[in-house]
Amino acid sequence: MEVSHSVKERTIAENSLVILLQGLHGHVTTVDMRDESTATGRVTNVDAFMNVRLAEVTFTDRQGTVSHLDEFFVTGRNVRYVHIPDEVDIRATIERQLQAIHRIRYFGGRDKGRKEFPRAKH
Amino acid sequence: KRFPPPAEGVRHQQQDTEAVLGGRSLGSGTLYVAESRLTWLENSGVGFSLDYPTISLHAVSRDLSAYPWEHLYVMVNAKFEGEETKEAPMAEGEEEEEDSDDDAEPIAEFRFVPSDKSALEAMFSAMCECQTLHPDPDDEDSDNDYEGEEYDVEAHELEQGDIPSFYTYEEGLSHLTAEGQATLERLEGMLAQSVSSQYNMAGVRTEDSIREFEDGMEVDIAPVVAGQFEDAEVDH
Repeated sequence: MEVSHSVKERTIAENSLVILLQGLHGHVTTVDMRDESTATGRVTNVDAFMNVRLAEVTFTDRQGTVSHLDEFFVTGRNVRYVHIPDEVDIRATIERQLQAIHRIRYFGGRDKGRKEFPRAKH
Repeated sequence: KRFPPPAEGVRHQQQDTEAVLGGRSLGSGTLYVAESRLTWLENSGVGFSLDYPTISLHAVSRDLSAYPWEHLYVMVNAKFEGEETKEAPMAEGEEEEEDSDDDAEPIAEFRFVPSDKSALEAMFSAMCECQTLHPDPDDEDSDNDYEGEEYDVEAHELEQGDIPSFYTYEEGLSHLTAEGQATLERLEGMLAQSVSSQYNMAGVRTEDSIREFEDGMEVDIAPVVAGQFEDAEVDH
């Protein structure tokens, strides 16, 4: 599970459904772009601005031509849809991501907080 | 257009890189992945720049059946104007971008083919980093505007910054200005002497900015360690 190290990004994520997308790390998913091209690959990162990074991608451009890309990055502005894989439990994913954020935020007492690097992966 | 390469914020520089626009090679030159823009300059000094907000996506392509050389693919959602490129050869290039659909958004497809294929990962990552420096200003979700200083969590985690003594609560309180902090301390002191038992933690407000972080001041949040508020000096 990946949680951003930025206060601002964590706050943005906490208040939007992008938090669901951030819970998709490692899952194979399809992203539809604004120009109607699509990319299917394994999610390696989604940030609070919905920039999506995928690996091992099958890319279909808007004319239908298929190609394979090793690494792929699309800006949030150009994302139209992100398909949530069937095997993903949406509610559990959101809750897990929120818990991860809260663990960082409320960790420890006054002087103990944030000296330990948050355990991001579970 | 002839111009000097970017001097600052160059995250990655790749020499001996061919640039291809649409299907047309522009020659060999150097690609500069700078924080402000993406620039490619042919060895003769002419070239072009792309602004990150115009780049919709980029990728590493190693699929030789799709294109015969491993390259960095960059899709730009703008028509490629004459003034941004070399003069004469680009006139033909412009026509190539316009797809058959009249109502389709114009896109331009660039391929940067480095002679050193192993550099593609670094080129890709540098572009990812620079893209994230240019978030979309037209984002409809206006709640993304968070005022106040950023609490540098990483610096504190690495113990590079002093944890100020008045950071009694969680990071949200870092949004108070120095004056606000002083006021907060003064009020808390006054509270301790106050006879009234009406005050709870949420009553200690000095500025509007605290309002956003009410959650942290309520005692009933489960994960909060009870001892965290022991010096708040409030009558419960």
